[in-house]
Amino acid sequence: MSLLQVKNVSKHFGSLVAVNNISMTVEPGELRAIIGPNGAGKTTFFNLITGFFTPNTGRIIFDGRDVTDLLPARRVWCGIARTFQVTEVFPELTVRENLRISVEVASGMRLRAWLSQTDDDKIRARVRELIEMGGLAGKADRQVGELSHGDQRATEIMMALALKPRLLLLDEPTAGMGDQETYEITQLIRRLHRDGKLTIVLIEHDMRVVFHLADRIMVLDQGKFLAEGTPPEIAANKAVQTAYLGQAA
Amino acid sequence: MTQLLLFNITNGLIIGAFYVLMAIGLSLILNLSNVINFAHGGFLVVGGYIAYTLEPYLGFWGALIVSPFLTAIIGLAVEKTLISRVYGRDPLYSLLLTFGLAFILEDGTRVIWGANGKPFTIPAALAQPLSNQFFFITSYRLFMVAVVAVTIVLLFLLLRYTRAGVRIRAGTLDLETVSALGVNVRALRSLNFAVGIFLAGLSGVLAAGQLGLEPTMGAGLLMPSFIAIIVGGVGSLTGTLVGGLLIGVASGVTAVFFPAASEAIMYVLMAVVLLVRPRGLFGEEGMLT
Amino acid sequence: MKQLLKLEPRRKVAALAAIWAALMAAPFWMPLLGGYTALGTRVLVLGLAAMSVNFLLGFTGVLSFGHAAWFGIGAYGCGMILKYIALSTPLGILAGTLAGGIAGAVLGALIVRRRGVYFAMVTIAFGQVFYYIAFQWSSVTGGDDGLRPFYRQPLHLGVATLDILNNAVAFYYFVLVCFALAVAAMAFILRSPFGRTMLAIRENERRARFLGIPVELHIWIAFTLSCFFMAYAGSLYALVNNFADPRGLHYSQSGDFVMMAVMGGMRSFWGPLLGAVVFVVFQDYVSSITINWQIFIGFLFVLVVLFFPRGILGAIRRTVVAS
Repeated sequence: MSLLQVKNVSKHFGSLVAVNNISMTVEPGELRAIIGPNGAGKTTFFNLITGFFTPNTGRIIFDGRDVTDLLPARRVWCGIARTFQVTEVFPELTVRENLRISVEVASGMRLRAWLSQTDDDKIRARVRELIEMGGLAGKADRQVGELSHGDQRATEIMMALALKPRLLLLDEPTAGMGDQETYEITQLIRRLHRDGKLTIVLIEHDMRVVFHLADRIMVLDQGKFLAEGTPPEIAANKAVQTAYLGQAA
Repeated sequence: MTQLLLFNITNGLIIGAFYVLMAIGLSLILNLSNVINFAHGGFLVVGGYIAYTLEPYLGFWGALIVSPFLTAIIGLAVEKTLISRVYGRDPLYSLLLTFGLAFILEDGTRVIWGANGKPFTIPAALAQPLSNQFFFITSYRLFMVAVVAVTIVLLFLLLRYTRAGVRIRAGTLDLETVSALGVNVRALRSLNFAVGIFLAGLSGVLAAGQLGLEPTMGAGLLMPSFIAIIVGGVGSLTGTLVGGLLIGVASGVTAVFFPAASEAIMYVLMAVVLLVRPRGLFGEEGMLT
Repeated sequence: MKQLLKLEPRRKVAALAAIWAALMAAPFWMPLLGGYTALGTRVLVLGLAAMSVNFLLGFTGVLSFGHAAWFGIGAYGCGMILKYIALSTPLGILAGTLAGGIAGAVLGALIVRRRGVYFAMVTIAFGQVFYYIAFQWSSVTGGDDGLRPFYRQPLHLGVATLDILNNAVAFYYFVLVCFALAVAAMAFILRSPFGRTMLAIRENERRARFLGIPVELHIWIAFTLSCFFMAYAGSLYALVNNFADPRGLHYSQSGDFVMMAVMGGMRSFWGPLLGAVVFVVFQDYVSSITINWQIFIGFLFVLVVLFFPRGILGAIRRTVVAS
């Protein structure tokens, strides 16, 4: 069964139609990229899946359950985690504290006023594991706000991962990064996908990253569906070429 | 009974009109600058006392016109030197700053003009009751309502048809875009603040004519203005207008049946509105909340 | 959690020891500086109130400008028990704390979706409701004159009786114990998983929400806890004065509490206590030299906002970090 089924969703803000009747199906274990020129409605589409906005029409089915009307926090509990275009972390807390909060929330302990020693040990171990996985070992006790863009992004991805999601949505994970940082983040995503068998949907502008990582690609243009297929199919697609060239010209 | 009810409804409308004048000024500043001006009542007092000082030289009419302008100039100076420094910072700081300013203005008034109340003479023509039957409506109260009405209409016209007015309204909705279009947001906020304080000054003169002068008179009017804004919906001037009249009438009517609760009814009204329409009567999604 | 006091662990322990030693020895060193024990008791209670405000402001990032209401309800609740119902100090504290905390919980549920300036405005306006009730309902509350007379009652501890009414030093230690209990509870909560979700909301509400934290629920809980602490402090304040004052519910009192928190340093646990010390002593001093002392308080507000927005401890910490 498909993990995520988005059925004919639309979203408009006043007279502006940001997302126009788009459907998408994501299979378990897939890495799907969504591309499109600026203003294509990619982030709004993400926001509909994660509950930031509710669609005006259409349904969103996650793992057989209709989540269209659920609040963001509840969708997270269903197993949908995300990162943002502009990195969203807890800037004045350390990497370790950022991850610790995520782990505690994921373990259903967010309302606890007290932790047993065993729980505490488990949480610490899990946090260490995430720090290692994200390549943040040397920086674990520094405030996230002081770290480089790439490390902040890695922290954010690890926070999402701490939730043990079944679907991870990444909104332009390499935006604003240099070549080295882009490479590291790409490797990280690749590891999560290949080794962790995680289902990932990502929005990306960097075509190197997209063609390197994606199993399938969906292209949006001006809020509408343009094309979908494997990377070679998309590369050969005339409509896609026109949309991108049209913008470049 | 009918007579009494009528009296209190009229009374409520008059008081409501007064709340509106004060609240619209607060609302203007809140909408564009995201600052709750606790010192608004302080400026009202300053406006009243300036009029008191000018009255022997300029007469009532001169004081009525000149005092709000002088108050606005003081307001502009305060905005330039102090308040503009906290724009864009956590609202906590503008709250504390204007809170402190309120203390300074109130006590400053006390130092300059004395702690005791002062009478404020109005022209004899305005002091007369309207008629025997409507003895409770003095000409002055009608005059107050007229001044408020004219001022509000003028304000709405200015906001709609002048360049600065259009910018202020646009800035209320989306300051970033307005700024990106090359508008000097700083100057716009200063102008807007000055207009808000002008209204406070005018309220002060009008209130002085009705109630006389006291250094504490501003603080008591602040809460109804807050409630008018909340009931009407933060971000909407029309809402503030309706909110002010509504709470005025509500407290007027309540005064007939249950005098002790005439003030409390405003809060009840606010609670009900917040329960039913959490953003206020005219508040919209995404406005400042 | 180092967040509470960003110092090295050993220095942190030393600082804590110094704070508690100073508090415990206050009745002995205060007279030497021209203070008196009752002033120390007052500072302690107002400091607790400022810390309660900061529990919400500094650690959840939510600005309530109407917290004096819960403080005042605590004071009236405690006073009414002593005046009308039972001559028992613990019962008074319990009743005051519950009354203010429950009232806060109810109001919190109504306003928890509002944010920023709007939240502040609504808390101010609702806080005033209680001021008007205390002011208007003279037959029960004493109206403008406040609630009196009532007296804190001696404590019967089984083996001995502690006369906290007439012995100022004994009362100071009683308040210190009450203070310590509340402060320990606050510290405990802030170090818990729930406490960390408060920090998460302060740091980045959107991130918190998309980690699966139901932000409104957590803010409501934090608000309610803060109201309970506030009402508890208010109950103690009624005992300090043997009097409950309607002005204690007024929004200007809320402003004072917020000011204490900000002036001391709202990002640190102990900052608000320091703020309360400075504020109360300053107020005590200026009001003894002029009747227009409010103008000095006004200037204090302006100075702090413009020059010490991070408070005394924040400024010290910056200097330490810089050097």
